[in-house]
Amino acid sequence: MSLYLDQIRAIIWKDLLLELRTRERIAAMGAFAVLAGVLFNYSLDQARVAPQDVAAGLIWMTLVFGGLLGVGRTFYLEAQDGAMEGVLMSPAPKDAVYLGKTLANFALLFPVALLILGVFWLFFGLDLGSNPGILVLALGLGALGFVALSTLFAAVSSGTHMGETLLPILVFPLLVPMVVYGVGVTGRIMVGRPVEEVLGNVRLLAAFALVALAAGAVLFRFVVED
Amino acid sequence: MSITGMRRTGTGLAVVGLLGMMFVFWLSFFWVSTEASQGVAQRIFYVHVPAAWTTFFAFGLCALTSAMYLWLRDERLDRAAVSAAEGGMIFGTIMLTTGPLWGRIAWGTYWTWEPRLTLTLLLWFIFLGYFMVRSSTENPEKGKRFAAVVAIVGALDIPFIHVSVLWFRSLHPQPVVVRPEDGPALPGDMLTLLLTSLAAFTVIFLGLFMLRYALEGLRRELDVRARKVAA
Amino acid sequence: MFRLKSVVTGLGMAAGFAFGAAVLVAQELPGNALATQSLRPYWHVFIAYAIAIALVLGWVISIGRRLRDVEERLGG
Repeated sequence: MSLYLDQIRAIIWKDLLLELRTRERIAAMGAFAVLAGVLFNYSLDQARVAPQDVAAGLIWMTLVFGGLLGVGRTFYLEAQDGAMEGVLMSPAPKDAVYLGKTLANFALLFPVALLILGVFWLFFGLDLGSNPGILVLALGLGALGFVALSTLFAAVSSGTHMGETLLPILVFPLLVPMVVYGVGVTGRIMVGRPVEEVLGNVRLLAAFALVALAAGAVLFRFVVED
Repeated sequence: MSITGMRRTGTGLAVVGLLGMMFVFWLSFFWVSTEASQGVAQRIFYVHVPAAWTTFFAFGLCALTSAMYLWLRDERLDRAAVSAAEGGMIFGTIMLTTGPLWGRIAWGTYWTWEPRLTLTLLLWFIFLGYFMVRSSTENPEKGKRFAAVVAIVGALDIPFIHVSVLWFRSLHPQPVVVRPEDGPALPGDMLTLLLTSLAAFTVIFLGLFMLRYALEGLRRELDVRARKVAA
Repeated sequence: MFRLKSVVTGLGMAAGFAFGAAVLVAQELPGNALATQSLRPYWHVFIAYAIAIALVLGWVISIGRRLRDVEERLGG
């Protein structure tokens, strides 16, 4: 068991070290988050629409689109110079590779999710409502479910000749329930509803993330086998 | 069953099913009584509901055979999966186009985020991805595995989609939702017609599914032959 | 293959005939209930049925074509 965890840790560390050296994906996602905030500012007539009312949906849309930007490139570097074969030939089981990759992506996306929340708070003067902790928890669970699905499908799409263009078509329909639950939590907390009202949705977000992780861990080996 | 046998049975079933569908059309125009509260437009249900049932059946079959394909790696399971997925797309399109036509009369709007309509729309897109993945790999075996993964994850997602769209609807209640199948039992002749139509659609699907399966088998034969010639 | 093709054509014609007949019947229905209603629901029903039959027949024809194609190449 501890060997398995070590293998996962090794993959996570490898991915994060790579990212630390290049800072490509985190920079792209972070810049996207800020720029999306700016664009939303100009696409909303704030005299008619209160940002408070629509921010929940926009935050989740920014998370999904920005996340695809980073997660879509999960296998890009390794596919370029054949390093993926090396990773897959290592003694680590395929599901450890998947979990490592997914958690590394989560470590990148979760700060971006917080940045998105911060950007919206700053740009639109949002009131974060009754319980910001629940907001962060919901965004965390959402980010986890998102990376769990999109890492699996990033492996799928990088194996096709359509590449990253295929990724949104594959994951958006699957992500709809997650966005519905997530927006439900965020929107309600932001208007100051009690926490009890959103606990059901938070649980569903957690269940979604767990099922996505389990499915990804089981199915990943079929995606990367030769 | 051999490919030829599949073909023959498939053709037979398809012909029977198509005749049954014609019979259903005839019955629904000239025989069945008009539903009192919804009027004529209710007749759309005799194609809409069976199409919906066939769609879900087809997608379920596809996900099941896909999972078994990944497990057993039997070529025939993949053939069944792709045949079912194609049928699901066809009947899903019928469901998605006839639903709004009814909704325009009954609800006054073409599209509503009615849970089952939304679920079918998302399923339709999941299986669009299924076909896109399948056709965009250089190695067909890889495409089959990728497509199977899409189908399985799509099937796992269905309960979540179902809960979310139901929940979402409770957030935005529809003004008038009249759903005959939820109300008291349908009057006898309407129920008879609906069941006849269900049977006709199912038989059409099974027949065409078998023909499509036979087609995939013949393609495989063609491949094998081409490889022999090349070798 | 000829058989399938003629079956398809026959069914298509039958469908067309049914629609035509239904349109005529619909227009001659007693006016008591319909006088106040437009014919719009009828059109929606016809369009829905036409879409259903067109898509199913489209699938039949597409499978038939592909089958013929493969068989020609297998035979030749």
